[in-house]
Amino acid sequence: MERQIMNNKKRLFSVEPTELSPSEVFTRKYTSHLVPALKKLNMDKSPSPINQLTVKHEVDKALALSAQEFAWSGFLLQKLSSSNNPTTTTSSSSNGTRILEGSCKEDEDGEIEEKLSELRKLLPGGEEMNVEEMLSEIGNYIKCLELQTIALKSIVQDTT
Amino acid sequence: MDLTGLKWLQQHQQMVSPEFLQILGSDGREELRKVESYLGNNIYDTIDGCISRTSSFQMEPVKNNEENRVIALGNKRKPEGKRETIEKKKKIKAEDETESSMKENSNMSNTETSSEFLKQDYIHVRARRGEATDRHSLAERARREKISKKMKCLRDIVPGCNKVTGKAGMLDEIINYVQSLQQQVEFLSMKLSFVNPELEFHINELSSMMVDSRSFPLHQQGSLDYSVINSNQTTSLNALKIETSSNWDVHSQCLYNNLRTDSVSSFFSLK
Repeated sequence: MERQIMNNKKRLFSVEPTELSPSEVFTRKYTSHLVPALKKLNMDKSPSPINQLTVKHEVDKALALSAQEFAWSGFLLQKLSSSNNPTTTTSSSSNGTRILEGSCKEDEDGEIEEKLSELRKLLPGGEEMNVEEMLSEIGNYIKCLELQTIALKSIVQDTT
Repeated sequence: MDLTGLKWLQQHQQMVSPEFLQILGSDGREELRKVESYLGNNIYDTIDGCISRTSSFQMEPVKNNEENRVIALGNKRKPEGKRETIEKKKKIKAEDETESSMKENSNMSNTETSSEFLKQDYIHVRARRGEATDRHSLAERARREKISKKMKCLRDIVPGCNKVTGKAGMLDEIINYVQSLQQQVEFLSMKLSFVNPELEFHINELSSMMVDSRSFPLHQQGSLDYSVINSNQTTSLNALKIETSSNWDVHSQCLYNNLRTDSVSSFFSLK
């Protein structure tokens, strides 16, 4: 893409029509899902304090909706819609306790298997995938999480 | 050339050199016949040098014969690694495992001469010297190679695993990273829920203002500071307005060069 770098105070415009990279596409989708949802939450529940879990729910939902080309997003959506009380999709129950049990096993394969199964738990829908599939999905899940974090940070910063 | 070679083989079976047939043995001869009749069916399939590259990995045994060397794989996708594209195997010839096992397996070494014959719709996996060449181990090995390819890709994505070697350590790193990302998201959404009542912004602003992704502390894995929002965000909102999506694109490209759904990427081609 060609760019004309003008004055610092002016916006940068690309000469060619913007080719959106997938990460950009994701971020835009994500913010476009999340921000209205948050606004709506805001308006609907202005009398009562906004539930943390509800926000988390919206956050996860926005994530799932923005990444529908991936398998895990379907599973995530399922999880979200099936639970009335929005559950956290993170394995927050295991935060900090990343002890791998059964490490008394000398067998390397056994260790690897355990780690793989742990990884499966982290990924929405990981339980139903085979190893190869899961590894690819983990990759793009990580990317989307990173992008989501960036977007969330910018949203939060925006308002503070 | 390939087609003609196959045709020749098919039509002139009886003209195959007697030595060759002798080496094959009676079982081998029968196999040769079967193979050629099978080949005859496929002879008009398009021989495309690229087919083996554009393949998804789908295992289907051609025959229920343990001496069968070729694994027939469906082909759909983008280029795979070198190993699978270059190597070819003729059905009735395979690399020698050991010299003594020739009779049992009716193997022939000598992939070079007849290797052009079977460029068809197979993915060819080369058996290295001394490795088993039966269908199962080939499949197993191909599967393992795929998995290790994916692990390599993950290495690029997950920061800080340059020093880690081996599958187990790598998986550890991945697990840690995913958990930390998820925790971050949780924390941020918690923060957002506190801040939410004061939300006043426009979507347009948000999408045009993108955080400089370099500020994302990807390399601070062990020390994710949750006050990172204040400390690491060096760009203010006004400054962010200056950066457009294209600028962000540049920054994000170096981080997310794998995430291209429309172009060839090592990540998405691993199927």
